[in-house]
Amino acid sequence: MIDDETLMAFVDGELDEMGRARVERAAAGDPALQARIDRQRKLRATLAAFYGPAAEEEVPEHLRAMLESNVVAFPAAKPRTSRPLWQSVLALAATLVLGLAVGRTLLAPAAGPVGVENGRMLAQGQLAAALDTQLASAQAPDAATRIGTSFAAADGRLCRTFESAAMAGLACRGDQGWQLMMTTAGSAGPRSDYRQAGSANPLVAQAAQDLMAGEPLDAAAERRARDSGWRRR
Amino acid sequence: MQAFERELLTLLPRLRRFARALARDATDADDLLQVALERALKARAQWAPGTRLDSWMMRIVRNCWIDEVRSRTRRARTFVPEEEGAAIGSEAHREVELRAELHAVEKAMNNLSDEQREVIALVLVEGLAYKEAAELLEIPIGTLTSRLTRGRQALAQMLEAA
Repeated sequence: MIDDETLMAFVDGELDEMGRARVERAAAGDPALQARIDRQRKLRATLAAFYGPAAEEEVPEHLRAMLESNVVAFPAAKPRTSRPLWQSVLALAATLVLGLAVGRTLLAPAAGPVGVENGRMLAQGQLAAALDTQLASAQAPDAATRIGTSFAAADGRLCRTFESAAMAGLACRGDQGWQLMMTTAGSAGPRSDYRQAGSANPLVAQAAQDLMAGEPLDAAAERRARDSGWRRR
Repeated sequence: MQAFERELLTLLPRLRRFARALARDATDADDLLQVALERALKARAQWAPGTRLDSWMMRIVRNCWIDEVRSRTRRARTFVPEEEGAAIGSEAHREVELRAELHAVEKAMNNLSDEQREVIALVLVEGLAYKEAAELLEIPIGTLTSRLTRGRQALAQMLEAA
């Protein structure tokens, strides 16, 4: 005789191998017991069908905002100024400095926007969060990281350009997270024109151009891509 | 944004599902989650990085439900029979019936005791192992399984009668 508690533990996958075998053997020759098992499986399925969609819905903005507003506000950007050649040269120089910073992150991967996993540079922390959740069409004016363009690469991965005070770059979503395809210095200091989303940084824009297959995503496609977890196309 | 907020953000959809299974309806569930998030942000120092944020957060949601929202829900619920009674014989009555059919699961869940409801939410909706659920609720595993068994029997009966 299989009591209800054992039967439910069986349905919940909580029995060890011997326990499972015992229930299966008993059910094989006992249609009434099989019916009791089916009834419990059906209940599980009913609950899953009813509550499952709640995890698929878009989370209300006011709940997301409670977490997103905890971002330290970045000082508002100054109005855009034209950029002479020497500033581009400075930006390139800063890229080298960034390389050193990334190298340091390799040794102490706990903090910072970049980590390394299996030989790949991956976005982490606030940068990864921005890449995951932020829509270019709806970002706060003082967001620490600005998302520029989102697009599909030729290999089907979804990629996004970003720019923050420390770093600008291009990241593509792989199985392990956002892989940084290229990075360059951000717009800290006198060059605070990073608010010009997308094409603000010519190095990033060029890299995006090289990788992009087709057109950039529009606002609706960007939202869909986010809601489906930036799955490969 | 810190790792804490970032991880919580990714947990939000799941926490909403859990809150939905605990609270009376979707509105109460989001209110519950809001209260729980406020509490979590204040208590963030108590979360040890490297430990599971999902269990920690589900415990907060559950405690908030016990402490704050549930009492309000109880007050709200006392009005429901009156509404239904007043609508008998009218078009509205038919609507109430229709809604009742659609929400048979919700209704059945609402008829469970709080103790049964939370174990069902943790094990059957969220898929926690018995051991995890018992630890989260700080009850012995035998208590968990007997609540689970009784809650399930009641649910199955109500749903089959619906």
